[in-house]
Amino acid sequence: MTMIGLEIHCQLTNLNSKLFCSCKANYRGFKINENICPICMGLPGSLPRLNQEAVKKATIIAMALNCSTPEKIAFFRKNYFYPDSPKNFQITQLNIYGDTSVGGTGSIMVGDKKIRITRIQLEEDPGRLIYEGSSSKNQITLVDYNRAGTPLVEIVTEPDFETPKEIRDFLNILSDILANLGVADPSLEGAMRADANVSIKGGKKVEIKNIGSFHDLEKAVHFEITRQESLHSREIEIVQETRHWDDRRKITVSSRSKEEDLDYRYFLEGDIPWVKIDPETQKTLSSQMPESISSKKERYVSKYNIPAQVADVLSSDKYYSDLFEESHTELNAKEVANIITTDLMGLVDTREKREASKFTSVHLKELADSIQSGKISKNSSKNALHEILKTGKNLTTIIKELDLGNVSDESELSGIICQVISEESQAVEQTKSNPQTINYLVGKVMQKTKGKADPSLTLDLLKKQIGI
Amino acid sequence: MNLKISALDFIQEVKTGNISAEDFVAKTIERIQNVDDKLHAFLSVNQKAVDQARKIDKKVKSGEKVGDCFGMPISIKDNLCIKDSKTTCASKMLEDFIAPYDATVITKLKRQDAIFVGKVNMDEFAMGLTTEFSAFGPSKNPWNADYVPGGSSGGSAVSVSAFECVASLGSDTGGSVRNPASFCSTVGYKPTYGLISRFGLISYANSIEQIGPLTRTVKDTAFMLNMISGIDPNDSTTIDNKNEDYLSEIDSGIEGKKIGIIQEMIGEGIDPAVLSATKDAISKLESLGAICEEISLDMVKYSVAAYYTITATEAGSNLARYDNLRYGYDFPLEGYEFNSYISKARRNFGPEVTRRLIIGGFVPSTGHAGKYFLKALKVKSKLTKEINNVFKKFDLLISPTVPILPFKLGEKIDDPVSLFLVDINTVTANLTGKPAISIPFANSNGLPIGIQLMANSSQDKLLLQAAHALEKTVNLPEVPI
Amino acid sequence: MVTEEEIEHVSKLMRIDIDDHKEFVEKVHSMINYFDILDSAGVESEEISMPEISISNLRKDEHIPFDGKLIEKLNHYKGTYVRAPKMSS
Ligand SMILES: [Zn+2]
Repeated sequence: MTMIGLEIHCQLTNLNSKLFCSCKANYRGFKINENICPICMGLPGSLPRLNQEAVKKATIIAMALNCSTPEKIAFFRKNYFYPDSPKNFQITQLNIYGDTSVGGTGSIMVGDKKIRITRIQLEEDPGRLIYEGSSSKNQITLVDYNRAGTPLVEIVTEPDFETPKEIRDFLNILSDILANLGVADPSLEGAMRADANVSIKGGKKVEIKNIGSFHDLEKAVHFEITRQESLHSREIEIVQETRHWDDRRKITVSSRSKEEDLDYRYFLEGDIPWVKIDPETQKTLSSQMPESISSKKERYVSKYNIPAQVADVLSSDKYYSDLFEESHTELNAKEVANIITTDLMGLVDTREKREASKFTSVHLKELADSIQSGKISKNSSKNALHEILKTGKNLTTIIKELDLGNVSDESELSGIICQVISEESQAVEQTKSNPQTINYLVGKVMQKTKGKADPSLTLDLLKKQIGI
Repeated sequence: MNLKISALDFIQEVKTGNISAEDFVAKTIERIQNVDDKLHAFLSVNQKAVDQARKIDKKVKSGEKVGDCFGMPISIKDNLCIKDSKTTCASKMLEDFIAPYDATVITKLKRQDAIFVGKVNMDEFAMGLTTEFSAFGPSKNPWNADYVPGGSSGGSAVSVSAFECVASLGSDTGGSVRNPASFCSTVGYKPTYGLISRFGLISYANSIEQIGPLTRTVKDTAFMLNMISGIDPNDSTTIDNKNEDYLSEIDSGIEGKKIGIIQEMIGEGIDPAVLSATKDAISKLESLGAICEEISLDMVKYSVAAYYTITATEAGSNLARYDNLRYGYDFPLEGYEFNSYISKARRNFGPEVTRRLIIGGFVPSTGHAGKYFLKALKVKSKLTKEINNVFKKFDLLISPTVPILPFKLGEKIDDPVSLFLVDINTVTANLTGKPAISIPFANSNGLPIGIQLMANSSQDKLLLQAAHALEKTVNLPEVPI
Repeated sequence: MVTEEEIEHVSKLMRIDIDDHKEFVEKVHSMINYFDILDSAGVESEEISMPEISISNLRKDEHIPFDGKLIEKLNHYKGTYVRAPKMSS
């Protein structure tokens, strides 16, 4: 049986400051080594100042993943030398003196399968290394410390996965949960990373590190399973080791790390006292948690009668569910859900498109209300949506500029209907025996108005004029 | 101009206009130039000190608000950061390091118009108790230049004792303030853990060390505590002392106070002169109305081993950052691979630091942590419990600061284990977080002897009152320099 | 008893090259051997305690940039990078 466990690192990108200093948590967009201070550079004499909000956000994550949350958390030093780590140790969490990590054991359901969480820890991200030079002989290493000290939550799972597909489903759910909590933006480059450990029946555990994206994670796990199975079938022993994912060759390679690199000499970080998170604070935190994805889904179905499948899609993406929440009313909820899931999704499916678009919940509300009141037809609404995304203009202006409004003027419409009745006398006759034929006549009116006739008004006028 | 006055007297004289800060500081700098060739207390001297003092005199004259220090010349141990000045830790590793910010204690003293006359010598990274492990050469004891001044804050004690400043700041990890204070006949104070912010103090063993003043009198120490203590958002381990005034009621005396005599600290290996001075101190305290009784702290036997295990482990981690990449000394990295480069660069640590770093890698490592590091932490816990129990019945504890007299330069430098035993009386205060003070008490053939008093956590005020009472019973010769 | 190999191994772990090996090893040896005294302290059942801080006393989450260009006060290379030696693969 294949057993795969994950260590997922998620940056708390929505915080204002780093884990132990007041530099910016979201380091993106800074010039090289511009987002640094004596603390995150580990300068002599500096001391860590733990970010209160980071502890709170990490606790909320633990709660959302059904993990236990201890009343006291402790920080440890993990000692190793590497140029991206300014102190040459990382401040992280462990459970060697009881459960002192921000999150204890928990679980998430992935379909019908329960994935167990071992623990959740709060720690600091290192800086970034840039390698220059072609051959190993003239290679140089450059370091940018803007990322050093960024708050990171590490989620460690039990080896409960059996296939890459299960991993993908899990990570999708996890990203949605984290985004929904408002603690992180998983779509930001490098905001979520994962290491995996893989073992097959009878073999030792192999860790795979250095996986750049979730897409590569699947590939790396797949490669590793195949590699181990091939060794097994040839009766070659699978050794316990750490392997690196070679992004270029798309294979895992054994890291020649020496024994001394692996002795982290963990011990308590004396500069940070144990942090008390009393039950009162825990209660407050839990009450401030945003509504969960599953509860949103349930509410959409039961309250607005939105089909389960639509509700599912709508609730799991924070961007869409926020739009829904901000623009829906009791009356237009179904229409709003409809516009989002049938028209909008294809247009703003990436972070870039969302950022470039000028679309707001105000537009969405206008659009849904206008469809419902017959101000604009379903067909024309799609054109209007395109225009809104492009220009950000309001709906009324767009309807006017592009002449997308429905023909809902009774006298104008009556004239057209008169024309249709005189041209289609046979069909008019048939409506008396077969009421369905009236739809044919509505279609003809639509043809003449290029789809802009208000459908319900057309129907009413037709019936009146024919006298049925 | 008399340089041999206390801090409080200095302030009084400047305040009343009897002397000018400029004159006093200029004479102090002159004094440093005269005696420091022989004593080597200073690693660097502040060239702007006299100018800074002149500005303070102006403020005094014009009636402008002046900080409480009135231009008092203070020396600073070279492991405390002063913005834009060299902070070397007496190490070749940091020979060229310029601190880009002020330590909290420096910020506070600047605000009170203190003047930093210079940075003073120490054992490299504060590891040692003789100042012989300074990469820039040892300091000498002003009482006899053939003798060590103690350490690691040796430069601080020498500069106060030899009138090269009025007061000094040192740091005390296992006795590093009290030991040189005892050897040089000054007051040396290790506050309750967390009373003084460590922000800007270059860490050696951060879980137990504190900054502490060295002064001529106990009152001066109380004054210095008023200046530099208190909660600091930059150091999460600081405690709120509610702006306690340590000077007020310093004359309260010790009548009726119960004092425990720590048996383990006057036992085997103690110098007879030190023992008799201790007995003398006890009878003086009794004559002032204190009740003294022998007590026992079992864990003291293991305290030095626990101390070295914990400090080496923390040092191994605290000093890992010195890899010469972001700052350090000139050593080109071309042609080296990362690990080989930093392993070579780190050879610039002196022999004692290197030894302790190796020990610091060994005792917490896989397979050894259980035997050494974990046990040391447990000794620390048990010792704390023991001493807390004693403080349920006693107000104070007494012992000699150091069980032996100052010794000659070079005498013990090659015998690290015999040096361990010099720490036996001082490390307990660090391991348990309690405040402790060394008071100059006696003199044996020209060599000073200090007495140590210890109190319960946050009882710093009581401790200073007792120390002041004991100090008043003492009449010591003047330093022969 | 600590062996010479162990000390050599730890010096690699701590990234310090050591010269005058023999004398050095002997000193470290004698220091570590002194710690054997801890075995007789009888503290196995002791719990480890640490100071505590309430979550409400931790730093507020505010972005306050460092006053001044810190990188200019540190070793820098090719603009504002920090340079490290090449990494062994
Ligand atoms: Zn920073």
